[in-house]
Amino acid sequence: MLKNFAGSIALAGAIATLSATALHAQMAAKVDKPVTITFYNYNLASASAGADATRDLIREFMALNPNITVKGVPVPSNEILSRVQADMAAGQQPDVAQLVFRDLIYIANDLGANALEDMVPKQELAAHFTGMIPQGLELGKVDGKTYGLAYTFSTPILYYNADLFRQAGLDPDKPPRTWAEVKSAGEAIRQKTGKHGFFPGAYGPVDGTFVYQAIAMSNGGQVRNGNKLTFADGEGMEAVSMLREMVDSGAHARIDVASPGDTMASGNLGMFLYTSALQSSLLKSAEGKFELRVAAMPAFGEKATRPTNSGSALFVLSQDPQKQRASYELLKFLTDRHAYTIITTKIGYLPLRLDIVDDPNYLAGWVAEHPMIRPNLEQLNRLTANVAFPGPNYRQVEKMMMDGVREAIFGKGDAVKTLQTAQTDAQRLMPR
Amino acid sequence: MTDTTAGTLAFPRDRARPRSTSGRWHKLSTPWIYLAPALLTLIVWVYAPLLEAFQLSFYRWNMLPSSPKRFVGLDNYIDLLTLPEMHIALGNTAIYILGLFPMSVLLPLAIAIFTQNLAGRARTVYRTLIFVPMIIAPVVAAIIWRWVLNEDHGLLNEALSGLGLTRIGFLIDPDYALGTLIWITGWKLIGFSTLLFSAANGSINPSYVEAARMDGATPWQITRDIRIPLLSPTILLLSMMTILFGAQWSFTYINVLTGGGPLKSTTNIFYLLWDYGFGSHSVGWSSAAGMIAFAGFTIIALACLRLMKRHTVYDN
Repeated sequence: MLKNFAGSIALAGAIATLSATALHAQMAAKVDKPVTITFYNYNLASASAGADATRDLIREFMALNPNITVKGVPVPSNEILSRVQADMAAGQQPDVAQLVFRDLIYIANDLGANALEDMVPKQELAAHFTGMIPQGLELGKVDGKTYGLAYTFSTPILYYNADLFRQAGLDPDKPPRTWAEVKSAGEAIRQKTGKHGFFPGAYGPVDGTFVYQAIAMSNGGQVRNGNKLTFADGEGMEAVSMLREMVDSGAHARIDVASPGDTMASGNLGMFLYTSALQSSLLKSAEGKFELRVAAMPAFGEKATRPTNSGSALFVLSQDPQKQRASYELLKFLTDRHAYTIITTKIGYLPLRLDIVDDPNYLAGWVAEHPMIRPNLEQLNRLTANVAFPGPNYRQVEKMMMDGVREAIFGKGDAVKTLQTAQTDAQRLMPR
Repeated sequence: MTDTTAGTLAFPRDRARPRSTSGRWHKLSTPWIYLAPALLTLIVWVYAPLLEAFQLSFYRWNMLPSSPKRFVGLDNYIDLLTLPEMHIALGNTAIYILGLFPMSVLLPLAIAIFTQNLAGRARTVYRTLIFVPMIIAPVVAAIIWRWVLNEDHGLLNEALSGLGLTRIGFLIDPDYALGTLIWITGWKLIGFSTLLFSAANGSINPSYVEAARMDGATPWQITRDIRIPLLSPTILLLSMMTILFGAQWSFTYINVLTGGGPLKSTTNIFYLLWDYGFGSHSVGWSSAAGMIAFAGFTIIALACLRLMKRHTVYDN
């Protein structure tokens, strides 16, 4: 009996293994019978306005497409990939998922996401892509094919507390443009007000790597070159050493890496480099307490910054042609002019269609009232794709890199030696 | 078949010979049928996963049914044992266990003995107060501690700076974070241990204490020569639980408060194996880390059991 039992467990495992198939066929021409698709979304799981705006968008979409029912699955952003993966393992194939860029290669190669070029007729796809910024579309590509359609995202911007600037004898109308200026401003705030100077949202558990990569790449650094890790080399290393010097001089704060946003919101932090998605909640916290302003991300001397993106793309995971069509219709709706107007105004991300910014039917009025979005829009021209890691151990590699960066910046040892050790350790986990 | 199996089995072989094959089968299978529910649960929830984890520790896999499992031999173990992270985690695990001892064994033992002599209501109130942390949900407790310990506006740091002392980054300074997490874990445990000790202390036969008192023993002598020896089974039980589970109890607080940081100062073997498995989907590493922990704790558990047998005093 025991033997049989063990046997049946093994059999169940084998069936589960065999049942996952990956077929890449073109989707159906239209949805002609009722179909239900699932939409794994992390804005839905937030307690902010993003959840309501997303629910409204889904409702509008269903009203326009009576044959399609969209079932929203809310999962927090740092758990959403595991959830999609777990549901796939359990045989519940997700249809559309909002996933972050750091997992891009893995989603394309291992999770079996559909490349839009394989799934959608050429002309139809080209028609939808018209008007979307090419740097944005580039973000979701693996080997030239679009697996993720850029959806909600933003670039790092420098929030600063104008009141602390004044108290420290700095001019809030001249926010720091370079890292050298950030350093002196940070030191001034630290010494004259006793508050914290500067902190980037780069080291926390939900921060991913985008702020760190934006800083490193703005100096000309790269986290990897093909399968060779390079985050501890040359310009990338210089960027980390620069942050370490700021920590040593007191310009860069030592606060809880998981909640710098709270420190900023409480008025205890002078400068905070992070995604614009936090803008509306920070503005709300600052109201009546201090004056919050934003500036573009700082540069290394005269080098142009290379802001990378935070945020997500939409991936179609369904294997059924009807569901694929329904999923694609949802993608189209969510990345069209109307949806981007909602996403920009209600959630706080960037419109990937710049033609709506000055269009009075869409964003013009709102942008006039909210000039704080301008630095972020301006940075879009220099948008640089966040680099994801390849291979089955990519998350471990990414983690070892970020552990190394934290240790190099906040630790006691030599920054260069620390990061190089991390690079050597992580290299063993990269594909050969 | 109504006679008890134990009785039947105790008969000499020739006399117990059953009359028919079906009867014999019945006799042999009866104990197994009674045992089946317990055995099945053990197999499904403990032994099968254990075997599977052992097997997975030799593979590189990310839990996706569509991706292949690749056999890598001992690579996972070699990778883990050479990683500095693992050394830190193992060291921290030991520190967690040692650090928890005062709060899971010594302090509760003292509280139980001292509160024993308090009069009725005072004792109940006192013990209730000590027991309260135990019934607060761990995640809630963690978040409250985060507020209390916040460097900029936490209650404790406000008090420190009010007294003219420097503020301390309890959760963000690698020199303090581990101690802070041990304190929070221990603070949750005091109530539980105190409850066990109080129960054990209350069940000590009062005639021993009375007899000792009549012989002129001081309260300290009574504690040392009567109470502590009779409490030794509970002391050893709680010590063993602290050694085997202490580091696990800190998991929630690590996960909610520090994520193993700052600079890995609060990570331990249990957090690490969870992080490998569910943070970065490296099942092979996770299983290998689990196997290392399992082997280590098996040896410790056996040693503890031997110690318990040798040094415990029972009142019978």
